[in-house]
Amino acid sequence: MFRQHPTLRYITARAGWYALTFLVAVTINFWLPRLGEANPVDTLMARVSGSMDAQAAREREESYLREFGLVQTDDTGKILRAADGTPLRTSILTQFLRYLRMSLQGDFGRSIVQHPRPVSDIILTALPWTLALQIPALVLGWFIGNGLGALAAYRRGVLDKVFYPVALLVSAIPSFCFGILLVYIFGVQLEWLPTLGGYDEALNPGFNAAFLSSAATYYILPFLSVFLLVVGGQAIGMRSMCIYELGTDYVRYAKLMGVRESTIVRYMFRNAMLPQLTGLALTLGGMVGGALIAEMVFSYPGLGLSVLTAIQSLDYPVITGCTLLVTTCVLVANFTVDILIGFLDPRIRAAREGEA
Amino acid sequence: MPAILEVEDLRLHYLTRLGKRVQAVDGVSFQLQPGEILGIAGESGCGKTTLVSGLMGLLMPPLHLSSGAVRIAGRDILRLPPAEVRRSVLGRDIAMIPQGALNSLNPTRKIRDLATDVILAHDEGADRRAIQERLRERFTRIGLEADAVLNAYPVQLPAGMKQRVVIGISTLLNPRIVIADEPSSALDVSSQKAVIQLLFNLLDEGIVSSMVFITHELPLLRHVAGRIAVMYAGQIVEIGTTEQVIFDGRQPYTRALMGSMLSAEPGQKSRKPVAIEGAPPNLGEPISGCRFAVRCPVAQPDCPQRDQVLREVAGRHVRCHHAH
Amino acid sequence: MPTDTPCFEARNLTRAFGHGARRKVAVNDATFTIAEREIVSLVGQSGCGKSVLAKLLLRLEKPSSGDLLYHGRPIAESGDPRAYWRDVQAVFQDPYAAFNQFFTIRSQLKACFRLFDRRPPEGEMEERIDQALLAVNLRPRELDGKYPFELSGGQMQRLLLARIFILRPRVLIADEPTSMVDACSRAGILEYLMKLKEELSMTIVFVTHDIGLAYYVSDRLFILHEGRIVEQGTPDDVTQRPTSPFTRQLLDDIPSVHRPWVSRVGAK
Repeated sequence: MFRQHPTLRYITARAGWYALTFLVAVTINFWLPRLGEANPVDTLMARVSGSMDAQAAREREESYLREFGLVQTDDTGKILRAADGTPLRTSILTQFLRYLRMSLQGDFGRSIVQHPRPVSDIILTALPWTLALQIPALVLGWFIGNGLGALAAYRRGVLDKVFYPVALLVSAIPSFCFGILLVYIFGVQLEWLPTLGGYDEALNPGFNAAFLSSAATYYILPFLSVFLLVVGGQAIGMRSMCIYELGTDYVRYAKLMGVRESTIVRYMFRNAMLPQLTGLALTLGGMVGGALIAEMVFSYPGLGLSVLTAIQSLDYPVITGCTLLVTTCVLVANFTVDILIGFLDPRIRAAREGEA
Repeated sequence: MPAILEVEDLRLHYLTRLGKRVQAVDGVSFQLQPGEILGIAGESGCGKTTLVSGLMGLLMPPLHLSSGAVRIAGRDILRLPPAEVRRSVLGRDIAMIPQGALNSLNPTRKIRDLATDVILAHDEGADRRAIQERLRERFTRIGLEADAVLNAYPVQLPAGMKQRVVIGISTLLNPRIVIADEPSSALDVSSQKAVIQLLFNLLDEGIVSSMVFITHELPLLRHVAGRIAVMYAGQIVEIGTTEQVIFDGRQPYTRALMGSMLSAEPGQKSRKPVAIEGAPPNLGEPISGCRFAVRCPVAQPDCPQRDQVLREVAGRHVRCHHAH
Repeated sequence: MPTDTPCFEARNLTRAFGHGARRKVAVNDATFTIAEREIVSLVGQSGCGKSVLAKLLLRLEKPSSGDLLYHGRPIAESGDPRAYWRDVQAVFQDPYAAFNQFFTIRSQLKACFRLFDRRPPEGEMEERIDQALLAVNLRPRELDGKYPFELSGGQMQRLLLARIFILRPRVLIADEPTSMVDACSRAGILEYLMKLKEELSMTIVFVTHDIGLAYYVSDRLFILHEGRIVEQGTPDDVTQRPTSPFTRQLLDDIPSVHRPWVSRVGAK
């Protein structure tokens, strides 16, 4: 049936590629922490063993080993031992398969540093903050950036002369520099806004007016640092796409046929938007990465900060869990954009059907 | 019969970013009668395309009007407000069939929607259902499978059919004058013939009244036009009936142009075409004397000094004081 | 004059694209010979397969089935493609696409020498570039420091031919070299093409939709229709005694000055 449905065949092929990418990402995620010297059990033991006798320490160590899947167990969970009583270690492949199975179930294990807190719990606490910050900033930034770019291209004149260099400057600043710049100007010099954290530490998180207004004040700078960068980057791309579209034969022909200016602007906007969408698929990963860095700069209690603290304390299960989540989200978004473009642009559809 | 289109001493210039003035159209006058097809011939850079912008009243920077008038049925369209030109002149009084039909259709819009946009732009309150009926009727009439073509995107149509679609859209509003700017030069000879046949049908059925046909292929004009104007360096250098210009050109450029055409037909191998050497003059510089003198095979010593004017020679107008 | 030595030989040459219901046969079971120093034109409407056939000869496409030999050896097996392209060169429709817009014309002509195994000394390269430009009636000094966008289409097309003068290939594939050139410059381009052929004793395969043009330059014509060679023969035979209805159609479609072409019912 795929032969008759080139689009369906295309989607299947794409999905296959994305699945492969995902598998590679998962594998890298598994291997990276294991390349280093640090072993989670040793790290944990170093923290607790001081106050224990040898017998208690060995029992504790074995329970950790079992928890992290490093030793073989029978059906009842009892550790299998060699003749001399030492626990039988699991092979790396078994560990990988266990990791895969757990990851797919959304179980990322337990944190080392905050043991025995599950990683999923840490993620679930941080996720709302990240979503509340990033989604509005990315989505709004994308729409407003594209709108401004189109406007500058269409109107040209003074608007464009001022707007273009500013947008170029903003988008050229690395995201961490931009965050620090905002902190310095609005936080340190002007003292208008708080610079660190997601809310006033003196308050308890909850749905009350004091907490929400505090969270809103703390929200402004991190939001701006993500939002403005996206606006700048998108606007520049959109501006040049629109200038190109306005110079095409089909725009000239539409003008010569007396088609209304508003209709022509619509043509321009839509056709310039399509390559922007393709661009989005390509840069989405980078955008999300930059946004997470903004959280680190502002110590915003989202995923970015969780990753940062985890890296600092070598809390591998947390790092792995967070990166896996972000990777999955980026891949899913990419896949969606990829499929969407095919439906929006008949040229790409025709090309795909030709290939198929 | 009063002329439907009168072009009176039209001069158009470009202003470059560096403030340089390029006089691309320099004193063009002609009249077009109802029912007539006028051919305009010349090599690239002679000002044909700029002239089209002037005829359509669509002067946008960097193109500016220096002087002169373009009157359609007595109305000077170069002095109308742009909104009025858009609504009542473009597509209705005068419509263009562009050169690159391949790129003239919005690639992300179905033919149906694009054609609807054109109608709605001139008749805001038009009934949607009536529009669809009209599109079907018109596309069928020009020999297209209306339903399939209307629902297609441009990328799905072959080049010859795309050109047909463009002709259909250009003539949707039954324009009095059609400007065909090299409508067939990108097509193979068979599609070219079909396109010309279609244009003739539109004239014969009264959908279009008159036509200006622009091309660099003189032999084609033999079959298309009743009169021909030959352009060189922004000016008309000879204008007369097709027979006069093609078989009995009196201006040296006309003769050179005709002599450079490969007579694309068997049995003519003995007549060797001669390419015109050199390039047309740079219109950004002031030119005095005959503009063709440096390339002219029969130039006389006085030619580079003498400004040329159109004068009547053997029943047509020629810009060459030596012509007889 | 054409020799008796075959340059290209094709036997049941076929090139198809796609599979199943979407399969399109661009070149269908073509069998022909092109002799050394012959000028053969491939003539047909757009989509007839002439350009695909040209690409097969240029080793830019591979046959789906059948044989295509160059001097007795299958093209696909004649080793290093660069060595093949030293022998077989091409000029295309759009001369601007053939040159990089960001480098001077002269530097790009000089880059042609890279295709040779051994580069001649500097002085000789300059000398040969000048000669090549003069051969196509371009003044070498006027092009110094110029970029492709500063030249007209006709000049650019001549520049492509100058490139051929430098490369001195044994075969030239010319794919619609005049279709984007002003009608009045076409004769010039063809004249230089003829000159090339005389001076370098080349074999030329000329691709065009215009049978009149083909008639003017060729020793033999191949008429193509829907991937098949429907007629081959000398220009006089093909144009005066066409056997295929498709040839007749192509002849009828030329806008000749001397005979009726399209009719107007209501002509005034």
